[in-house]
Amino acid sequence: MSSDELLVVRCRLGERDALAELVRAWHAPVWGYVRRMIGPAEADDVTQEVWLAVVRGLPGLRQPERFTPWLFTIARRAVTNRLRAEYARPEIATDAEPVSPDPADALVDRAELVAGLAALPAREREVLILFHLEDLPLETCALICDVPVGTVKSRLSRARRLLREEMNRKEGRP
Amino acid sequence: MNADELISRLSGPLSLRRRVATTVALLGGLLGAAFVGLLWLSEPVLPLRTQLAFGALVLVGLGWAGYGSWVLSRRTPLFALDRVIAGWLALAASGLLAGLTALVALTRGGVHWAAYLMVVVLLMVAAGNLVRARALRGALLRRKRELGG
Repeated sequence: MSSDELLVVRCRLGERDALAELVRAWHAPVWGYVRRMIGPAEADDVTQEVWLAVVRGLPGLRQPERFTPWLFTIARRAVTNRLRAEYARPEIATDAEPVSPDPADALVDRAELVAGLAALPAREREVLILFHLEDLPLETCALICDVPVGTVKSRLSRARRLLREEMNRKEGRP
Repeated sequence: MNADELISRLSGPLSLRRRVATTVALLGGLLGAAFVGLLWLSEPVLPLRTQLAFGALVLVGLGWAGYGSWVLSRRTPLFALDRVIAGWLALAASGLLAGLTALVALTRGGVHWAAYLMVVVLLMVAAGNLVRARALRGALLRRKRELGG
């Protein structure tokens, strides 16, 4: 995204107004990701922690065009620190299903997805948020989570199944 | 918390005064330690207590230099323009140290060879840092123009 790259280059040059623009452009996505991962109580503090790390790391960001995965990697690190116990649980391996780029083709719409997120394990929750709510490509999700694209697909597939089960349970269906 | 509140919370680490003060602490500490060390080296025979006092002053200077390095590398971002300014400040401090060394050498008939070596190394490091900082800023300015900024 060249506009982000330009903003990052201007930030690295030391332009204060560029930094304010960058924060305004990305605050809501970062805050949304953090809040959905750890809940509203700590979202503000963790988001501030993320942006402090971003501001300190910006002068050393060698590839401004990769700002988005870099930003979410920092956010994920902060979230992981808060959810150590959840991330420590072993992951259950499943086969990957094809992932449609269109969320409308997925089994859930955004409202259902948001409603059921809290019931999912951390790894599945994060890929759903990144892929469906932040609209990031699979490759970027893989970079952020530091796993192969195939693993992201597996987690998405498992997340949808768990979400479907959660929806059925809430509606009282077997 | 909205974006503007967040921006105001980030103003601490981004404060120009804080970055300049930290750079001055680093350079002042280094310059002070180097100058006291130079005076120490230029005295042939000193009582133990005076040597301890010189050593303590050198340690205080190095302590400030270490604190400044830590803050600049871990706590406070140094953007491209800041690096150029810091580069000029370091070169000026090294030049001042070179001048003081020359003055001490003239008034006392020479100083220890290690003092000359230290001054030359500091001047070369400062000049190298400044060249790198200017090159980085130049590259970023070119990239900014390429992106239409």
